Formats: sequence, C-alpha cells, structure tokens
Amino acid sequence: MVTASEVLSAIKSAFPGSVKEERVESDRRLWITVDPGKLLDMTKFLRDKHGFDHYSGAAGVDRIADNLFEVVEILTSHGAHQVVVLMKVKTPRDAPSVNSLTGLYWNANWYEREIWEMYGINFPGHPELYPLLLPDELVGAFPWRKDFKGYPDTSTGRRAVESVTSDGHTEFTIMPTDKEMEGGVFQRIKVPNFREREEMELGSDAEMIMHMGPQHAVVPGPFLLDLLLDGERVKRAFLDVGYIHKGIEKIMENRNWLQALVYTDRMCYMASISNNEAYCGAVEKLLGIVPTERAQYIRVILAELSRIQSHLLGTAEFLTLIASAIYSPFMYMIIDREDVVSLIESVTGARITHTFVRFGGVRNDLPPDFKEKTLPVLKMVKEKTLQYKDLLASDSIYKKRMVGVGVLTAEKAKNLGVSGPALRATNVAYDMRREDPHLVYPDLDFDVITRTAGDSAARVEVRLDEILESVKIIEQCLDRIPEGPIQEKLPKKIKPEPGEAYYRVEDPRGEMGFYVVSDGSDKPYRVKVRGPVYAYFQALPPLLEGAYIADVVAIAGSMDACTSEVDR
Amino acid sequence: MELFAFVETIMNWAAQERALTALIIGLIGAAILSGVINVGAMAVVWLERKVLGDVQSRFGPNRTGSRWGILQLGADAIKLFTKEDIIPKGADKQVYVWAPIVASISTMLVAAAIPFGALRINGVDYPLVVANMDISAFYVEAVLSIMVVAAFMAGFSSYNKYSLLGAFRGMARMISYEVPMGVCVIGVALMAHSLNLVDIVESQVVWYAFAQPIGFVVFTIALITDLGRMPFDQSEAEEELVAGYVTEYGGIRWGLLYFQEYISMVLGSILLVLLFLGGWRGPSIPVITIFSPMIWFLMKVIIVLVFLVWLRASVMRFRIDQVTDLGWKWMLPLSLVNLAWAVLVGLYLA
Repeated sequence: MVTASEVLSAIKSAFPGSVKEERVESDRRLWITVDPGKLLDMTKFLRDKHGFDHYSGAAGVDRIADNLFEVVEILTSHGAHQVVVLMKVKTPRDAPSVNSLTGLYWNANWYEREIWEMYGINFPGHPELYPLLLPDELVGAFPWRKDFKGYPDTSTGRRAVESVTSDGHTEFTIMPTDKEMEGGVFQRIKVPNFREREEMELGSDAEMIMHMGPQHAVVPGPFLLDLLLDGERVKRAFLDVGYIHKGIEKIMENRNWLQALVYTDRMCYMASISNNEAYCGAVEKLLGIVPTERAQYIRVILAELSRIQSHLLGTAEFLTLIASAIYSPFMYMIIDREDVVSLIESVTGARITHTFVRFGGVRNDLPPDFKEKTLPVLKMVKEKTLQYKDLLASDSIYKKRMVGVGVLTAEKAKNLGVSGPALRATNVAYDMRREDPHLVYPDLDFDVITRTAGDSAARVEVRLDEILESVKIIEQCLDRIPEGPIQEKLPKKIKPEPGEAYYRVEDPRGEMGFYVVSDGSDKPYRVKVRGPVYAYFQALPPLLEGAYIADVVAIAGSMDACTSEVDR
Repeated sequence: MELFAFVETIMNWAAQERALTALIIGLIGAAILSGVINVGAMAVVWLERKVLGDVQSRFGPNRTGSRWGILQLGADAIKLFTKEDIIPKGADKQVYVWAPIVASISTMLVAAAIPFGALRINGVDYPLVVANMDISAFYVEAVLSIMVVAAFMAGFSSYNKYSLLGAFRGMARMISYEVPMGVCVIGVALMAHSLNLVDIVESQVVWYAFAQPIGFVVFTIALITDLGRMPFDQSEAEEELVAGYVTEYGGIRWGLLYFQEYISMVLGSILLVLLFLGGWRGPSIPVITIFSPMIWFLMKVIIVLVFLVWLRASVMRFRIDQVTDLGWKWMLPLSLVNLAWAVLVGLYLA
C-alpha cells in the first residue's frame, strides 16, 4: 500500500530541492508546490515510476495578493494506489506560463484550455490553445481573474451591436469599445474560430460537415457536434461546448459558503445530491468537522436513490436514441423513476434541485415512515431492472446495434480520462466509493460492477447492474441507520481557516471532485469542479471517428452525458 | 357485375354523349375515392395515437372531441392549414413544391387499382374497385415506389444536409427491398395464375400466407421497409437526422407528406391482406350477408395496421448498412427460394 508520505520521499530523493512546499494531509492526499522548470520531469517520473496514470484535472487560482497565479495539477492512479497528488506550480502574474502536460496526458487538453481562456495562463507545448467555453467576444478578457470588472462594462450601459452580415442575416455582437481596447482591458487574441478550424480539415468534394446541435433532437443540452462525413461514415468529429456556460465556479466566489451550495445543484440536475455532497465534503474538510453518523447514512441513502433515478433516466434516454421517442421501455423507465423521485421528494421537498446536504449534516431528518415507503419501491426497482436486463439481452436488434460499437479498451479509456460506468465497462474497477472512502461507504457491502467488453452495450449493462447494487446499499443503510442528531455543531459564522481541500465522490456519471480554496473570509476564494461529463465530452470526438451516423447517437447516448455540468 | 364494368359503361355512354359529363363523373369518382382513403388514413392516425398511448401506459389524445380524442386530427389539420408557408432560401423551389404533390398523386394512383373489399350478393362477391386491370398487382407495386421518388425530391430540393442524407437512405432502402418484394408478388401470381388482385383474392382457397410462408414473411418485411415504418425508418430517423427528408417542410406541405405516409400505410396493409391473407374471403355472416366480405376484409386490415403500430412501439431501429445488408443477403435469396417453391407447387398442381 503506497501512502502519500512514501510518494513524497520518492519525489524528494529523485528531485532534490524542487519541492518548495509540502503537506501530507492524509495517507491519500499529498499537496506539493514544485519548481515550474521541473514540472514535466516530475510528472513523467510520477506517471512512469509510481503509477500515476490518471490525470484528474487542473485548476487555476488567482493569488492576486502575492501577484501570482497557481496551477494545481491533480494526479492520481487508476487503482494502483489511492494517493492523490495535488501539484502546485506558481507563475508570475505579468507573464504567466506553465508547461503543458498534454504530451504526457492526452486529457490535459481541455483543462489547460479552460485555464488559458479564463486566466490567461499560457501553456507552451499545448497543441491547440483555442477558446473552449468562452464566446469569441470574450476571449482575451480573462473573466476569472480576480481583477475582472465585468463585461460588457456596466458603466457604458452598452449591450449589443446590431449588424447585417454579407448574406443578409442580422447579427448581434457585443463589441469592445475603443476605450477598452486602448486601456488594455482587452488584448484581442486572434485565433481561428471553431468554424474556420473545422473547415481547414475539409478535404474532397465527397465530404461534408453535418452539424448536430446546438439545437438537435439528440443532444441532451446545447452543444455542437460537427461531423465530417464521408457518406454515412464519420471521418472526424468536432465538439464545441460552452453554449450555456454559467460561470458557476466564479459565481460561487461571490456568495458565502452556504449560498454557494445552491449552485452545485444546478450543475447537473440528475446528480444534485452527489454535487452537494462533494462540495460539502470539501468544506467540511476545511472546517475540520465530520458529519454525524445518522447524517452520513441519510446522505448515502439519498445519493444512491439519486443514482438509481439517474441511471434509469440515462438508460431510458439512451434507448430513445437508438430506437425512437416512441420506444415503449423509455416510458416504462420514466414511470419507474417517478416513484424513486417521489421518494427523494418526500425527504428533501424537491424533485431535482435539493440543496439537501449541509456542512456537518443534512437539512432535515427522514420522514417517520420512510423505511416502510422505501422498501416496496426498492423491490419494484429491482424487479423492473432485472426485466430490463432481460429485455435488452434478448433483443437481437439491440445486440446488432450496440455490441462492438464504440469500443473503449481499458488503455484507451484511461488515456482519454473517462471515469464512472464507461471506465468500469472496460474492466477497470475504479469507483470513488472504494478508492476514496467517504461517509459510511467502507462499512457497506457492495460490488464495483465491471464488464470486459467496453462497448456501448457494456456501459448500459454496468448502469443497470449498478442500480441493483444501489438497492443493496440502501437496504443495508435502512437496517443500520442509527438514531441521533442529523447536524453536527457548526460555528455561528462559517469562516474556514485559510487552506484548501480536495474531495471526491462517485457521481452517477463518474468521478466528481471539488477543489476548494479558503482565504479565511466568509466566501470561497476559489472553487474548482472536476466533473465526469467534462471528461466524457473531451473523449467523445476520438471515440466517434469511423462510426456511422446512427452509431454517433448511440455512442454519445451510452456515455450518459449532461451538458449543463460541462457548461457549469 | 363489377363496379369497374359499371363505371366503364357509364364512361362509354358519357363519351358518346358529352365529354363534359364524363369529366364531371370522373371528378366525382375521384372525390369519392380520395375521400375514402383520406378518412381511412385519418382513422389510422387516430388509431396509432391511441394504440401507442395504451402500449406505453399513457392516454394519447383525450381532450379534443370527447375523451377518445377523435377531433384531435381535425384540430391538427386546421393548424397545419393556417400555418405560414415557408420555402427555404436555398431550396430548389419547383421540386420542393412538387414533392408533396407527387407523393399524394402516387398514393391516389395506387388507390385507384386497389379493391377496397367486396359486397356479397346471392353468394357472389362483387369487389369494390375503380380500375380492375389485369396487371393490378404489378401496377400497385410499381406505383407505390413513386412515393420514394417523392421523398427523394423532397430531400434533394430542401438544401439541407439532414434532408439529403434522409433522401439517400430512402433510396438505398427502396433499391434493396423493391426486388425481393417484386419477387414475392411473382410467387403469388404464379400460384394464382393472374396478376389481377381480384383474381388473386378469389384464388385463395388456402391463404397464400400458409401456402408460401417464406414469401409472406419476406413480403411483410419488405412492405414495412417500403412504408418506412419502424424498425426501418432510417430516412427520417429523428434522433440522427432531425426529421430526415421532411426537415425543411412546414405547414400543409409537411402535412401532405406526413399524411401520405399514413395513406400508404393503409394501402400497404390492404395489399398485404389481398395478396397473402385471403382478402375479403370468409364465411357469410347471417342477416348482414351482403356486408360480410367487407367485415372480414376490414378486420384483417385493422389487425395488420395494429401490428404495424405495435411494432413501432416495441422494436429498435436498424442502422442503414444493416438494412441493406439484410435486404441483399437475406431477403433477396429468401424471396428466390420462395419463388422456386411457388414454381414447384405450381407444377405439382398443374
């Protein structure tokens, strides 16, 4: 069993003097600040020698008081050990630059692009430093810097400029004023936009680019999937996200600790309990409190209930994509899900955005007849799920369409950075409930479901089997849940000590992590969300290459995407 | 006396008397025919909504026109008629405008040659058919394919990539399945010694579904493909191509294209019943003897229609390459096997 301190001593002996600051938080968390020049070597060393094959994400932090930017690289392993290394690199604010890790980890791409456009930190060595989430007008404004004043500048009262394009359409654009351009508020960065980039790839006349989205019957939210087609085959896929980017991470910096909780719900309406849990867990670490035992059980029960309803809806939506909206099992699953959602509603009072988990506890206790009401629903869910498994296993068209389609090998899945059911379908038993034990999960008896095929059918099978495991977990929790308080004592004013914490939970869609920084005030200094769907989306274009158009929707659907979490 | 002969007599008379009279009578006949088909198709749309609702544990239309929602389609039609007529900017205007019209004309042409049941008078069945031609089975099969041309016109002229792909898919599907379908009709014609649909029905002492089971299955699948129903609705796969070849259509033009699908669904079901399920043959029902063939006929057609709707609610869509694969590698050889079987049985009977 590798522990954080062992990893630290290995790094120190290999790179003497390169570790500027160090903190071993626990056996599973290692915080180090490293020399920017040694970042690449050190990461390569960790990846090759110590099994850190999972690049979990990166966060930018604007330390305006020190005139510095920080980039936090989150590295961990797919099962070799359970240490999470949070490697910080500091870079001066006037010429920020950090070496790109895309050469070592393919999936560093999007995380670094996001930091680049939001903070203006340059990543030398990055292959395609193009805007990802921001609209073209805002590129160069670096809106997540602490000194960003807002845009359009409220003092001018200007909103949009109307112009007529060459082909007669009216366009509304938000243009920077001359004053803004002169004053250096804006350094316009000239990069080819999305459309220009994809047209560069267009080859012969036989090829065409078909747009799926931002408004399309198939997309679960507004994003643009452009397919470069050769007949019915996809030669290359381009993905553009950010249509509904809300800047939740920035908004949370302007709310107090408790108010910020509300925004975690809105990131993905299918997994709001998990998102609440991940944020609260991180803040609890900062506050140094542990939720009461009863509250922990309640959180687990609700998290698993919401996993059940999310998987049911995810499977139902997936089926509509390969069949049609008229396909009946879709409706049956929605009906089953309704019972589960009602159950959650009876506890939290809300159907999708609960804001139920609180620091050190939960908002309210379970209703008195909760167990009696839950057990029949669980029985029903179990029976129905087994039926659906039978149905899909015996449907020959389904097998023809799904088996061997969108295959991910374990190696490729790890490299693309996907997690959750899609990763477990490739026979990698990687589940945060086991990897990063939290709440009462270590005491509970459940299996991490895996499949070996790694195709679309396997992903759906994993989801259906996980419903059964969740049922098992809830039954155990209902038996064991102790009486007692549901809320740990909290200070009157929530003001965590300056510091930072990283907390991971298993979202229905995979690894959900919250990196939270406190500066001692009543507001979070920085919140970074590491979402599973973000990782899925990044992995989508390489997965779609060579597929048929009909398989595009099947593969995308089997990933169970949720756009609002990408555009958080 | 056949209705056809009756109409022919009147037409001859009218031609001798006055061309105008002939025109008026012809128009009246066409109006009756299109009325019958359209009402039938409306009933099918309603049937589909209700049956789908039942299959999926929901109600279906239940507000407009009593709790059975019978006026829902009328309300939809009024809405479609009053909608703004939009022609996309880049569209090939002439083709775009003509596509729905061609589609409607093709279904009407098919309807003219299809018997809509029969009346039993003194133990003899008098089929209700407008144009009783000698090669009506062949004619119906050929003209039914014009619909695909209309779909292709619609998709090609819309100046839209989804439409274009939908049109291509429709064409590919038609080419792969028209052949086995035609070969199955040949099998039936060989046993019946006729290509006339009325003769085919009358020769079915044993339903051809039992005499040629392979042919029946292949024809049914090919027919579903031709109609573009699930699991073969790739040309308008809404999850991939938004609405396929009808994506750019709106208002009543869309309504016509949508409606002709249901008309052809009715006609296709009737064709299946005529060729393989014994048409209107069946024992006489006392008291209403005259209508008994009609009742048998309608019953069979409705069963086929409900089967098609049920199929839509319970199967998934094939991928387009799998459809053509199935067509060329399975349906065509099977239809040829069926043809050989029909020839052998025909030789034995002869």
